[in-house]
Amino acid sequence: MSRLISRFVQYGNNELELMDFFADKIEKNIVKNDKIYSLSAQYPSARWFERKIRDDFGLVIESCYDKRRLIHHESFPKVYPMRKEFNLFSKLNFDYFEPYDYEKISGSGVFNVSVGPIHAGIIEPGHFHFSQAGEQILHLEVRHFYKYRAVEKMCEGKKIEDIEKIVARISGNESIAYQIGLSNIKYQSKELHQSLEHKLQNAILLEFERLAHHFADIGFIPNDAGFSPALAVGSRYSEDVRRVLKKLTNSRFGFDIIDKELNLFEKKEFILDFLSYLEREINWFEEWIIDIPSLWDRLDSTGILNKKEAIRYGCVGVVARASGIDNDTRSDDNFYTENGFTSCLRYKGDVASRFLVRIDEIKNSLFIIKNMILKLKKTISCNNLALSKDGEYFSLVESSIGEIFMYVKIENSIISRFYVRDPSFINWQALHLMMHNDIIADFPLINKSCDLSYAGNDL
Amino acid sequence: MIKFWKKRFSSSILTDNLEFDKELISLQKDIKDKISKNFAKSLNIRMVDCGSCNACENECNALSNPYYNLTRLGISFVASPRHADVLLISGVNTFNMHKHLVDAYNQMPNPKYVITIGDCTKIQSSVFDKNFAIVGEIEKFIPVNWHIEGCPPSPNEIIKGLLEFLKSLPKGE
Repeated sequence: MSRLISRFVQYGNNELELMDFFADKIEKNIVKNDKIYSLSAQYPSARWFERKIRDDFGLVIESCYDKRRLIHHESFPKVYPMRKEFNLFSKLNFDYFEPYDYEKISGSGVFNVSVGPIHAGIIEPGHFHFSQAGEQILHLEVRHFYKYRAVEKMCEGKKIEDIEKIVARISGNESIAYQIGLSNIKYQSKELHQSLEHKLQNAILLEFERLAHHFADIGFIPNDAGFSPALAVGSRYSEDVRRVLKKLTNSRFGFDIIDKELNLFEKKEFILDFLSYLEREINWFEEWIIDIPSLWDRLDSTGILNKKEAIRYGCVGVVARASGIDNDTRSDDNFYTENGFTSCLRYKGDVASRFLVRIDEIKNSLFIIKNMILKLKKTISCNNLALSKDGEYFSLVESSIGEIFMYVKIENSIISRFYVRDPSFINWQALHLMMHNDIIADFPLINKSCDLSYAGNDL
Repeated sequence: MIKFWKKRFSSSILTDNLEFDKELISLQKDIKDKISKNFAKSLNIRMVDCGSCNACENECNALSNPYYNLTRLGISFVASPRHADVLLISGVNTFNMHKHLVDAYNQMPNPKYVITIGDCTKIQSSVFDKNFAIVGEIEKFIPVNWHIEGCPPSPNEIIKGLLEFLKSLPKGE
């Protein structure tokens, strides 16, 4: 059984087409009578894809037991926004109401806890619905899409160049990865090739983004277990990386920088110095944090996702690698393996594994950047004057969370379908599996150890 | 932990920020005055994200890292709108978040202030146009007192924005 990457619907010549992307094949089927057949029995994570299709296009999903809406909340009117006849700029009112029936377990002594959409920290909005027997979590339902901005619809009818700013702002933590995904598609559609320098620059920036995100995470995870000194240290390194990014690209998050001429090779010495500083610091950090038994009491064997379930759900990114699945878009790419990439795997699937995978990846990223920076010889030049050729293009990019899938269909040089699947979209669906042996107080820790994106998931 | 303390004593204080601290010192008395008169010695902020890309949240989180350490100014982020003096809003105000945002504002005790953060919160500067899923125009639904611009504003810009907001308040209101 191959991994399901994504499932979505687009307009074909006259009718709707169902696109299924698997790890080893792509299937395209014409939708007949507005009905599609559900894959959710075989692929549990197909469920959100299908519920999304139902909300977007109003199709009937056969043999899918879940009849609830996904991206449209209680007061969202019964409209199908991705249909061509629906106007992007129509105004919806709040009069409609359709109650949402949460997945919950009932019985004597079992109670429900609702958390969100507004949480206690500075985080994005999302809803978590727990069924509890005392402290023990019996079930968790994740309900998101509070940040649904209609990015897919927004990008239709525009040129690729016009959506670059939007794509950079899909998810702040993965901005560079998203931009690289779009850039790859842009080059494919113009039948141009990226020069080696260009590829190196993209890859270096992508690894810098991974560093900034992972450093913040290795601070936040121990902090959620009550060990705050780690946050002070981790957030400091993360800030260091953001400041260097600002120096290199003039943006702390790397917004709107891909395909720009950045002159990284002139700052070679500076970058190399900075890398050896981070290398010293991460080695110190690891040595220090490994030595704190009360912390590892909390991290070890908490929030276990076993390998079998992770494969069944098609998990990606850090979550998958911590459960022993070698899933990394970079590992299939000679360009990366030649520059020192190694898959960082752990096998227990618990919070500790996800924490350690991040530390390993930080070290590996430092190594990759170092190798790549030495190969930079000259400034890149990007000329994209050619028009985009009609066709269907997709790209896969490994962001700091996991694999981003991006698909663009171009007709008459403008985009007729834009689709992205954030790694979080899959991993959120597997989150409830990690809760079964834990108490509700462990939830923030488990959630943070996956550190999934809400904005990228909701689009 | 001995390793940590060794490192702690060998590294300097990170909050040094030359350009900025001079201004801070000159303002500090004024700020303390304002905060103690208007907000009983501490300014409590509740942040609500209603459709941002998470960069503004990251920058607000960065405010508590050792470089900025916002708490030293008597400003802190709190867990509930009911504890807050200021509602800090980021994002485009999506259709799905709109009701919850207004709800959070209504839960705040008086006197209450609203600050919007990031270019997304203003339709003119936002990359995202108003559409069926984006209600936008926060100021139409709740009174906005101050705006901090930037995409995203850097932590320094956020601190500056907060200070300017404090300066804008009438004395001893």
